[in-house]
Amino acid sequence: MSEKPENIDFDAYIRGERPKNFKTASGIELKEFYTQDDVTDRREIPGTYPFTRGIHRDMYRGRFWTRRQQTGYGTPEESNKRMKAVLSAGQTGLNIDVDVVVKLGLDPDHPLVEGDIGLVGTSISTLEDMEKLFDGIPLDRVSTTLIVSPPASCVLMAMYVLLARKRGIPENGLIGTVMNDSFNQLVGPTREAEFPLFPLEGNIKIGIDVMEYCIKNIPRWTILNVNAYNMRETCLRAPEEAAFAMCIAKEYIRKLLDRGFHIDEFASKIAFFTDIGMDFLEEIAKIRAMRRIWAKMLKEEFKAEKERSMWFKTAIQTSGLALTAQQPLNNIVRATIQTLAAVLAGAQSIHTTSYDEAYALPTEEAQKLSIRIQQIIAYETNITKVVDPLGGSYVIEWLTDKFEEEIRKLMIEIEEQGGFIECFKRGWIDERIARGRHEYARRIEEKEEFIVGLNIFEDKEEKLPISISKVYSTEMQKERIDYVKNYKKNRDTSSVKMALDRLYTEAKEGSNIFVSVVNAIENRATLGEICETLRKAYDFELKIG
Amino acid sequence: MRKRIILAKMGLDAHDNALRIISRWLKDSGYEVIYAGVYNSAEHILRMVIEEDAHAVGLSFHGGEHIFYTAKLIELFRVNNLNHVKIFVGGIIPPKDVVVLKEMGVEAVFTPGAKKDEILNEIKKSLSEQA
Repeated sequence: MSEKPENIDFDAYIRGERPKNFKTASGIELKEFYTQDDVTDRREIPGTYPFTRGIHRDMYRGRFWTRRQQTGYGTPEESNKRMKAVLSAGQTGLNIDVDVVVKLGLDPDHPLVEGDIGLVGTSISTLEDMEKLFDGIPLDRVSTTLIVSPPASCVLMAMYVLLARKRGIPENGLIGTVMNDSFNQLVGPTREAEFPLFPLEGNIKIGIDVMEYCIKNIPRWTILNVNAYNMRETCLRAPEEAAFAMCIAKEYIRKLLDRGFHIDEFASKIAFFTDIGMDFLEEIAKIRAMRRIWAKMLKEEFKAEKERSMWFKTAIQTSGLALTAQQPLNNIVRATIQTLAAVLAGAQSIHTTSYDEAYALPTEEAQKLSIRIQQIIAYETNITKVVDPLGGSYVIEWLTDKFEEEIRKLMIEIEEQGGFIECFKRGWIDERIARGRHEYARRIEEKEEFIVGLNIFEDKEEKLPISISKVYSTEMQKERIDYVKNYKKNRDTSSVKMALDRLYTEAKEGSNIFVSVVNAIENRATLGEICETLRKAYDFELKIG
Repeated sequence: MRKRIILAKMGLDAHDNALRIISRWLKDSGYEVIYAGVYNSAEHILRMVIEEDAHAVGLSFHGGEHIFYTAKLIELFRVNNLNHVKIFVGGIIPPKDVVVLKEMGVEAVFTPGAKKDEILNEIKKSLSEQA
């Protein structure tokens, strides 16, 4: 606000302001306006096939979306405190993020991991850790999402099952989700991130083992959350996010059918985790199109008969990529607009990204504000009182059709090349990501796309008006390393060895390893030891460092 | 002479949007980029610097691990008499830590929103001062 009058371009006032072009963020050209001639008259009712307008007839009239902010940092004890803080602020479900050490299937005492312990999620290695993490949280009343991919997803899920047993909660009482997506947990599907850690086929197979166990034993558990969000945040565009996610889901569906399940035994246990960026209309259309594509795909291609199998369910997170370090309070406005889009799109649960995340993990205050944004939309705007309020809008319906077309085109391209896994192995996905990143950077550099405070309306003398959370602590990291070392010293090593040997043999034989992982944890094997045993069984060496 | 710069992520985090984008920018403006990618240890970067006779190292961080790993690398450079190799850091880094990193000997720190020209000018300036 300190512009001197001589710096003000008064001609701009005469010119006025207008959009630079008339394309959506993914490049779809928009017309001046849309009329009934642009849309197909579908007369679709919410809660009916193909569920474009939502999977429930009463939607938020029956129940609001779940407020599900990701939490997790430092030790399990610290994370537990934050989990309780967000629940008492009115969060209605938990979303547990683990640190990169867990994501890579390692223990805190591994020589290469010290500096990453507890930074972007909670550090977990033992069943005791899991007990501390969920201390005082009723597993049969609060639904929990475990944000973790194979092979660690198998270990954490097994720990969760054991924790429930210890508390006397039957497995059919557990409610929640294990993300369990083999491609996207670290940063999105790049070969560079995935290949050094674990053999891909083994990774996918272990994920399917977890799904198989859950289908048979934990009836209310969501077995897969296809992580479209992480893919999108590698600078892919909205139709790519949707198409890639659908093609990943197809791969898992085929593999579960190969294990002898009927489609209706598991399709309703598959959900998605999608992104909402700043292009308001486009993002809403994307989610509506995904619902329609999923429903048709399940019915026509996979011959599902139950309606529930045709329900596309999605957790939504607002985009972190869209946030700026410049003028960080603007991010509150961005997150609000994106959250509104997520609600108008019919999300099942929402994580509103916090305004300080271009600097660090959110402070408790920032996290609470994210919950408040959702509560204000839920309780004050009344948009929850009618289902699919934008349904029938000419442009929304036209864009939904357009998105359906664009997504299908890409899906066909992927399927014709042998499916997502094949495209990933061959590097086709990497190429798309590379193109997306350079294109994204170019658009911002050349001001083809405007970001307020970043490449337009900059404030050169800005002082940072927010406080920043400090997570990094060498004491916390040392505490975790010491803990795991002590844990390993104080246990019956022969029973650990026996349990790991059994796991090794079963992994070699190719049978379902889940029960054997449960057994290893009961015998006090750690997460890192279990994952290392699996690597050995696949004759694979970790390639990091 | 073309300047050689190693680009790397250290530790376990694999968020590499920025590293990939900056790699292209540097190549386009005439640098020889040795792209070390993700999951590097300090020892591995040290070996690469020696083998490639690199002029500079660019590190990218995302999850709060910047001080731990940068300190490790700087210490290794000191022990091996490689103080002339410039270190640039980029990523999600709080303002206080920008100061800390510079005090440790980091040449420049680029945070979210840093512009192409700003980054390239800064790197060019400090590498032209190099003997």
